[in-house]
This record gives sequence, structure tokens and C-alpha cells, in this order.
Amino acid sequence: MSSRLPRASGYFRTSYAQDFALLQSRLERLSFLIFTLALAAFPLIASAFYLDLACQIFLAAIGALSLMLLTGFAGQISLGHAGLLAAGAFTVGILSKEWNAPFWVTVPVAALIGASLGIVFGLPSLRLRGLYLAVSTLALHFVVVYLGGEYETRRGYSTGIVIDPPQIAGVTIGGGRVWYYVLLTFAAAALLVCLNLLRSRSGRAWRALRARETVAEALGIHIAAYKLLAFVISSAMASVAGALFAYYRGFVSVEAFSLFLSIQYVAMIIVGGMGSLLGAIFGAVFVTLFPYLIEAALLRLPNAQAYAGDLFAVNYTAFGVVMIAFLLFEPAGLVGIWRHVQTYFLLWPFKYRPAEGARR
Amino acid sequence: MSEPALLAVEKLEVVYHRAITAVQGISLTVRKGQIVAILGTNGAGKSTTLRAISGFLGIDDARVTDGSVTFNGQRIENRPPHEITRLGIALVPEREKVFPNLTIAENLAAPFTSSPDKRDDIGDLIYQMFPRLSERRNHLGGLLSGGERQMLALASALICRPTLLLVDELSLGLAPVVVEELMQRIADIRKQLDITIVLVEQSAMAALAVADYGYVLENGRVVLDGQAERLRAHGDIQEFYLGQTSGDRRSYRTVKQYRRSRRWYG
Repeated sequence: MSSRLPRASGYFRTSYAQDFALLQSRLERLSFLIFTLALAAFPLIASAFYLDLACQIFLAAIGALSLMLLTGFAGQISLGHAGLLAAGAFTVGILSKEWNAPFWVTVPVAALIGASLGIVFGLPSLRLRGLYLAVSTLALHFVVVYLGGEYETRRGYSTGIVIDPPQIAGVTIGGGRVWYYVLLTFAAAALLVCLNLLRSRSGRAWRALRARETVAEALGIHIAAYKLLAFVISSAMASVAGALFAYYRGFVSVEAFSLFLSIQYVAMIIVGGMGSLLGAIFGAVFVTLFPYLIEAALLRLPNAQAYAGDLFAVNYTAFGVVMIAFLLFEPAGLVGIWRHVQTYFLLWPFKYRPAEGARR
Repeated sequence: MSEPALLAVEKLEVVYHRAITAVQGISLTVRKGQIVAILGTNGAGKSTTLRAISGFLGIDDARVTDGSVTFNGQRIENRPPHEITRLGIALVPEREKVFPNLTIAENLAAPFTSSPDKRDDIGDLIYQMFPRLSERRNHLGGLLSGGERQMLALASALICRPTLLLVDELSLGLAPVVVEELMQRIADIRKQLDITIVLVEQSAMAALAVADYGYVLENGRVVLDGQAERLRAHGDIQEFYLGQTSGDRRSYRTVKQYRRSRRWYG
């Protein structure tokens, strides 16, 4: 990925490799360091509630990153994301209930199952485009949720499957602080995987085929293979997110994986900003925190107890309104706003970014 | 004509939607190192021929129903486009040819190459050949002008290191000055990279200025072919096949007679 920040003094790269460096300037390296330290220090000061929020955000971020790869970069719309999360969660549930499988077995198996679902439900993408593809991926959601529900009723776990806390290298993972670091590690790994994929041949192939499928094919890119690859990688990642979610909650139930969850993930990548990994993370933060923000706002109103019952409805409505507002006023999403702010400060006191720093 | 044929199209017939015959019995020979121009009006079958060579017929529900396309001794009709590209045929499509969401550098990194080192070598060469692309390598493809897009499309096709470059309507929507410059680039490309080029063009004179050999198509058939100088010498081509007048207009009768006798000019 080439640089997104405007440079006052121009670009001084002397090799093709420099074009693809992850952290390009001193400012980028410095802010990366500060941000990492802040993330590492957060659990030391945060309460259990905020730790839980952070963990939810990390889980959502893994899911959103995987959907961003598929939709934001490879251009394949999917509404089956909740199905993939459910597949991961149920893999964990079934494996640990039936065979008492440990963490280091269930999570890779969840990834494998996700990958194979990705192949099966990626196949329609070779023929279908846009809305038609989205509808075909809906089938994925229903199939997985149906199978999960069937397992629950057959085995008599009609309220859900309870999972014991996992053990990694003999240490039992429990408590907000430990989970925070575990999930942070997974989320960071997911981000790194995505970043590296995107600056590799596959990433370029995905973005190329999203823009102009025929041209990509004329330039020797194997469209079918790369589309399937996008589905496989994205599905495997989503499935791992589902598996972690199951462990984190200690509980698996089909109710958690409604179609609304798929829509929330699509909302994350739209609100965050299509075609940007940072956008996926912003979106995950925003969509996860949104209901809590609404609740907090509602509680501040006078006579709050009277409409506590309407909280759910208000939440849905506000979510819908915000989605529409984003689509209308900032199609580039949160990441678009972020870049305006960034540019403003970097260019101050000047008004416009230099032509050289092409915006993306 | 001592060089062997790199590309041989024989009695090609292409049918769209199983109903419309766009090309009926076209035969072309492209020898190694040549620049060959394929000329004709809209609907003459130029682009269809090019798509048959590059494998893009399936997209429009078209098929090669008869004849053959042979490249380097291999039959390639009805094979998928990315395989054909890997055999060494690169296509610069008629429109929508660059990736608007990728920067120029990324546009040039996207095409298939057998190894990254080779890409860097040819990358340097391409940036030398098109200094404008080098200056603007961090710009998004979607922000380029028409001429720059055309350069970028040529450049990214060259990244694949083709032995045969197919160019569809290089002059489409471009000013004559730009067309002239790009045609010059085409000649440079042949010289520097030692590749064979097929140009599909409506503006016959621009193409014939750099081509060695030309074919004129009409209604899905080859109606005239010959050395570029000979075709150039006939100002009539413009008038009879492409509908441009040079000076006073001729009567319908003369045109008809000319067409009857066109075989003699080849």
C-alpha cells in the first residue's frame, strides 16, 4: 500500500520495496508506538465493563476485517457473515461437548470448516454478481443456523451449549484482563494478515478484479481462483472470530447469530469506510459501542425510567438513521472523516492537500 | 516473409447469442516482429476478431463456431483469457482499461508476471518509456486523463511480458496529437521490447503510419489486405471503407465499381 499521508517534502523512494513498506514515515512509526503502548496499558486502568467492551470490539474487528477483505477489497457482497461466525462457534461447541477437544484443536478446525464453507458458498460468485450474489450467500446463513439449531434440539441443549473456559499452554483463560490480551493478540494478528495479504499479489488481484474484472483477466489474473481465495480466507477468519466469541461468552446458541448480526457486519464496513482496513476497525468500534451510547444518552434524559422499555426500539431506529445518514453524507465512512481531520492538521495552516499525495 | 507466423487465424467464424454472425471466415497471419493493423468501420468485426484471439468471447455469449486461432503452434480458440495471457498474448481493451481504485504503481504491480524481479526490470524500462507515469506513480488510475490511461493500459499489458500485444482502438476518444504520440510509442515498444503488435483501429492513417501490414474488414470479412505503404497510397481506403471524404465526393456507382475491383488492389 502506498502512502496515504500528504508529504510536505515529496516522496523519496529509491526501490519498489519502499513503495510497499507498512510504516513509511517517522510520524507513522511514532504514532504506532504510542498507540500500541496505550492498548497494552488499557486493562491496567479500565474497569470490568470497559474491558468487556474492548473484548467485544476486538471480536467484531476480526469479523469486520474478514468481511472487508471480501466485500471492500474483492468486491464480493456477502450477507452470510453471521452464518460463518455461527459455524465457528458451533464447531467449538460441538467439538468441546462431544470430544472434549482443547482450544488448540477447536480453533484451527473452526478455521478449516469456515474455509470449506467459503469454497462452497464462493462458487456462486463465479456466476453471480452484486445483489444476486448477496442473496445466494443468505443461504449460507440459513443452512448453518438451521444445522446448529438442529444439533441443539437433538442433543437437548435447547437453551444453548455451555463451554468450559479454554486452556492455552496449561493456563486457563478467564477474567477480563486475560481475555483482553488474548483477543487483542488475535485481532492484531488478523490485521497483520490482512495488511500483508493486501500488499501481496493476491491483494492487488482482488482490488483489480473488484474494479474491472475483464481487464484483470486480460492481464493474466485468474479471476475464479482469486474470488474463491477471497471467500476462503475471509470465511476462515470469520469462523475463527466465531470460535473465539464462543469461548469468550462460554456459551453458544443460535439466537446470537441472527440475520441482524450479518447486517451489523455489513454496517460496520459501510460506516467504517469501504475499501480500508482502518475503516473496518473504526466500523467495529462504532457499531459495537453504538447501543451503549444510545443507552447512556437515553438514561440522561429526564424521567429515564419511564421509557426504559423502549430502549430496544430506539436502538434499532437510531441504528437505521445513522446508516442512512452515513450513506448520504459521508459515503467514505468514518475513515473518510478521519482523513479529513488528519489532512487538516497535517496541512495547517494551508487548506488543500498537495496534488502529489493522491487520495484513496 | 521468411519469419514464421506467430499468430494464424484461419477461416474464423464467430456467432453471438447463437444467432448473429459477426465474423465469417476471417483469415489473418501475423509474423514475428510485425505491426499489423486491422481496420474497418463499426460492426466490421475487428473487435470480435480480437476478442476471439484473446479469449473474451464468452463474456458476451459469443462462440467461435468454425475455423481456428493458432499462436506459436498452439490452438487457443475458446480457451480462458488468463491462460491465453500467460501464453504470451496481452490485450489492451477498448475501454475501462485501468483500475481506477489502484495507484499507477499498483496498476503496474497487479498484472501476472512469472517473477517479481522480472517485473522490476520491465518496470524500470516502462517508466523510462512513459515518463509521465513515473512522475505520477502515486496517483489513482481513476484520476488520469484519457491519454494517460491509454499509456497506463499499454504499460500494464507490457508488464505481462507478452510476445504478442493486442491493442483495441488506441485512438478512441483521443486528440490526433495524442494518437500520433501513442503510435510513436507503439513503434518504440516494438523496437525496444522486440514484440509483435496487432492494432485494431478506425483511424486508418494513424495506424498505417506505424504498421507493416494491414487488413481491412467489412461485414465480418477481409475485403482488402496488403503492405502498409500500399494501403496508405490508396487514399481511397478512407473513403470507401471508413467513410471519410478526401476532396470531392464520388458517386455511388464509382464506389460500387471500386468495391467490385477491390481484390486487385491487394
